[in-house]
Amino acid sequence: MIQLTDVYKTFTVKDKRSRAKKQIEAVKGLSLTVKPGEIYGLLGPNGAGKSTTLRMIAGLMQADQGQIQVCGIDTKAEPEKARAMVGYLSTDLNVYGRFTPRELLRLFGEFQGVDAKVAERRGMHLLEKLQLLDFADVKMEGFSSGQKQKVSIARALLHDPKVVIFDEPTTGLDVLTAKTVLDLLRIMRSEGRSVIVSTHVMPMVDEICDRVGIIFDGELHGDAAPKQILETWNAKTLDEVFFQLAARSAAEV
Amino acid sequence: MRGALLVCKKEFMELSKDRKTMFFTFLMPFILYPLIFGMMGKLSQKDVASRKGKPSRILLVDSTQVIAPVLKADAKSFELVAAPQGDVKQAIRDQKLEMMLEVDPEASAKLTQHKTFSLNATYDQSDDSSGLALKRLKEALEKQNTSWVQARLGVMGASPELAVPSRIQTTDASTPGLAVSKVLGAFLPYMIMLMMFAGSMQHGIYTTAGEKERGTLLSLLSTSLPRNQIIWGKLIYVFSIGLISVLINLASMGIAMGRMVPSVASTGGSAAQGLGALSSIANPLTLVLTFLLMIPLGLLFANFIVLMGTQAKNTVEAGTAIMPGFMVVIVAAVFSMAPGIEKMAFLPYVPILNVSLAVRKLFSHQANYLEYTIAFLMTVGLAGLLTWLSTRLLNRESALFKV
Ligand SMILES: Nc1ncnc2c1ncn2[C@@H]1O[C@H](COP(=O)(O)OP(=O)(O)OP(=O)(O)O)[C@@H](O)[C@H]1O
Ligand SMILES: [Mg+2]
Repeated sequence: MIQLTDVYKTFTVKDKRSRAKKQIEAVKGLSLTVKPGEIYGLLGPNGAGKSTTLRMIAGLMQADQGQIQVCGIDTKAEPEKARAMVGYLSTDLNVYGRFTPRELLRLFGEFQGVDAKVAERRGMHLLEKLQLLDFADVKMEGFSSGQKQKVSIARALLHDPKVVIFDEPTTGLDVLTAKTVLDLLRIMRSEGRSVIVSTHVMPMVDEICDRVGIIFDGELHGDAAPKQILETWNAKTLDEVFFQLAARSAAEV
Repeated sequence: MRGALLVCKKEFMELSKDRKTMFFTFLMPFILYPLIFGMMGKLSQKDVASRKGKPSRILLVDSTQVIAPVLKADAKSFELVAAPQGDVKQAIRDQKLEMMLEVDPEASAKLTQHKTFSLNATYDQSDDSSGLALKRLKEALEKQNTSWVQARLGVMGASPELAVPSRIQTTDASTPGLAVSKVLGAFLPYMIMLMMFAGSMQHGIYTTAGEKERGTLLSLLSTSLPRNQIIWGKLIYVFSIGLISVLINLASMGIAMGRMVPSVASTGGSAAQGLGALSSIANPLTLVLTFLLMIPLGLLFANFIVLMGTQAKNTVEAGTAIMPGFMVVIVAAVFSMAPGIEKMAFLPYVPILNVSLAVRKLFSHQANYLEYTIAFLMTVGLAGLLTWLSTRLLNRESALFKV
């Protein structure tokens, strides 16, 4: 269970040229719920606030305003307990190049309070599913981005998290592996976990998401089943919804 | 605490995978000190031997041949050389000869008339061997003067002892090689402090800003490990690396010294004596007291480095932020090598400087336990303060995660 209530996040950045401070409202009053056994897709263009939202749920960042709960635990009040429920994956997260996947998975098992042996067994099982078992004892320094992504997926799911947060999980993966990841997410759903993914790849949303939230400029525009969204926007594809949104925000300015 | 130890274990595991870094951190000192001591031993041996053994080359201008027989009589100390080409002063500066000695042209006549004649000595005060030539000349001349006075007294029928109212007998009170051990005493603390900071800095940047730069920190932060445990783990790691560096440097120093002493001592001579005195550097008490003092200093360094490293966006920025600290350490270390600083009364109360002063005194047989205690307590206080501060600053959620 993931629950966001009226969440805000603002970044202060400095414009190097005008030397003025600028406020970037990355997330503006976002509310959403992901139930157990559900896959929720956050869909939006670059800079819409997807990663920021997911990072806040994962407890990597604190919201300025509003409340975030995972499995009923407030991420601000009990950050460690909340993080223990979460498996987080993102493209701007890297693996420790000096370790082999086996070493990394054992270590992260320990970090998460899982026995090293249990963690290793679970990790190897995941690597097998992701077709990376042959590389379990190879130093990750030379791994391709796809291979690293696979290890990260295994790392994120190692401690059997109730909440799975995948920020662009299929980026850098070939179609075959991407399909494996989607299958994995389906299994997660069938096991009753709450899954939230972000993407700008529309077909993926179509395929696996039970519900979609369209995020644009830090705000949520509609939160429903993919089909329903197409109906309300009177569009054939989700791409079209995007174009409409962009046109609407241009008209507002 | 369990989380901190796990993070620390991870850091050490990462380190163990990197052979090159392991080598430079842990094995280099074992090569470094034998090399330094070997070179110092060789140099001082050679230097003393060359100066004691060789006669001073002197260009003598003595038309009446009054001084020439005096110098020729002591062939061990003096060698008369022909006039060099070009400027004589330049030749002296170039160490082609040690001295030019011009004797009064009327010296012989003045001597028989019982008058004073003069000698003009040109030498290079900045050069040790030239200075030695002057010293030898003065000694030889004093002897000769005495015998001339005694000859004059003989003519007058007086006792020869009239010419020598007193005679000085000297005894060198310095323990053998005190000078050498003073030099090393100033140099070794410098090495230890520098090695500790450099080791901590290198690994500290790797595990803080480096992790941020490589994108691995995010995965660490996404686990259920509390933030402060992650910070503590890194702090313990950086602190341990500093202490391990010190331990290795001290051990290597002790071993190299212990090896060096008997082998050089057997060759005899004052260089051997010098190194003999240095064996006190291999004295366990000196090493243990030095190590004890490095514990709070290491904690101080580690806190500073982790604090700066975690606040930085990348390794370059971290390096820039830590550099001023490194400068302070270098200044403190260089300061401790400067001659005469032990006489400055305020020094035992200046943090960090007092540590290097205390170690310097330990290494040069001048241990002052009051000053040592002051330095120790001050550093403990300072390290405690900085630990408290960095724990408070870094315990915030935003401290580690700034993209
Ligand atoms: N740490 C930060 N500091 C300053 N600004 C930030 C920070 N993180 C995000 N932003 C800004 O917040 C906005 C939303 O960024 P976010 O990464 O959430 O977008 P996104 O939807 O994930 O985009 P993309 O599809 O490109 O990954 C952007 O304008 C970004 O510049
Ligand atoms: Mg993103």
